[in-house]
Amino acid sequence: MPKTSTMHYEAASTLAVVVSSNEPLLLLSEDQNVVAASASFCRAFEVDPSTVTGRRLCEIGAGEWDMPRLASLLRATASGSARIEAYEIDLVRPGRETRNLVVNARTLDDGDLDRIRLLLAVTDVTDARAETRLKDDLIRDKAILLQEVQHRVANSLQIIASVLMQSARRVQSVEARGHLHNAHHRVMSIAALQRQLSTSSGGRVELRAYFTQLCQSLGASMISDPNRLSIAVEVDDSVVEPDFSVSLGLIVTELVINALKHAFPDDRMGTIVIAYRSSGKDWTLSITDDGIGMPLGTDAPKAGLGTGIVEALARNLQGEIRLGDAGPGTAVTISHRQGAGLPTDVSKAA
Amino acid sequence: MKKDKAVVLVVEDNTIIRMGAVDLVLAAGYEVLEACDADEAIRILEARSDIDLVFTDVQMPGTMDGIKLSHYIRDRWPPVKLIVASGAAILEESSLPDGSRFFPKPYDEHAITDAMARLLASGRSTLTVG
Repeated sequence: MPKTSTMHYEAASTLAVVVSSNEPLLLLSEDQNVVAASASFCRAFEVDPSTVTGRRLCEIGAGEWDMPRLASLLRATASGSARIEAYEIDLVRPGRETRNLVVNARTLDDGDLDRIRLLLAVTDVTDARAETRLKDDLIRDKAILLQEVQHRVANSLQIIASVLMQSARRVQSVEARGHLHNAHHRVMSIAALQRQLSTSSGGRVELRAYFTQLCQSLGASMISDPNRLSIAVEVDDSVVEPDFSVSLGLIVTELVINALKHAFPDDRMGTIVIAYRSSGKDWTLSITDDGIGMPLGTDAPKAGLGTGIVEALARNLQGEIRLGDAGPGTAVTISHRQGAGLPTDVSKAA
Repeated sequence: MKKDKAVVLVVEDNTIIRMGAVDLVLAAGYEVLEACDADEAIRILEARSDIDLVFTDVQMPGTMDGIKLSHYIRDRWPPVKLIVASGAAILEESSLPDGSRFFPKPYDEHAITDAMARLLASGRSTLTVG
């Protein structure tokens, strides 16, 4: 079969389909002569369309398609012993950036068994690969940056904590020392949240883990005899937003400090229980101790900064504070009822 | 030779945090030495043979971070106890020498002094038999 006459055997429609293919495409004869090249191929790989047809694949352009591995794979494809699927190969041209190609080749299945022709589709994935690499780099950079920020926050909190504790060790006044210790507890409360956030995914906080860590931190610095006083955490599986959790954490900090300071005088034994339950948008937080109970009336202690913090935060969370006698001891409950008193909430009206 | 106070070396590049740590060690009743990076810490360890415990930060400028320093100390001065603190909340404890303690920053000072007391007590019982 004369090689020079391959063109004459192709139907015009076949050629037209190849030439107009959106994907860079070559139609080759069995001996790897170009029968037709798509306009997209010529454009993508900068070869003059008028110089392509009828030439050997290894000769087109400046000879950059003379790739022995590709030629051998095409031979194997033509013989039916292999098929080229997503084969990756580099197109190297002098003075040009190397392009990463993905090639697919198969024989044209038109019922003509005597004349084998090959369809070679070539995709330039250089830009897509670079984009993927860039995206991966950005994701990695973001993770490193986030870690760096968390690290810096932890270090900054350590600086504040160190300064407060140094001051507390130096001041003579017991009252001033108490205030400095309280300030330190508040910083540690926020640090516990920060730690919780840095280990959580999606920036949400598991309250049980957070409160447990918070109470460990408070207990470690305020409870000298763990056999005498303990803090228990009874929290459901609630996972909440950081803003909400920082408020809850500060409320817990203030109320636990208060209970540890006032509820168990004279080496009294006892337990403080921190409980949190939520259902839909309703939630209840309670801090209960089995201490001596809160003095009332004229004996009631003057409201300090701690009380102010708890009231302000509870108001901000639209929570209602209730102070109760736990018999023995004190129970402080802060609860939030979504739509409480609002006539629009009819779902639970009955 | 018997000394009445254990000697703790604090390694921390941040001045304020180092001051706080030194203060904390003093308040706990130990003798304290300070270094602002691993290289200085090693110079001090080479110069003195009476250091019982090293309390080190992780991220520090210089040739070694606190993790490398802790392994270096364990290899060269095996009896020296190690406490490591870092701002990185998740640190593989397995990346530290056996028997060393890790605390995330900000650390609770009672937890640190408690760990120091335990490590120093355990060292004494194994080292001064008889």
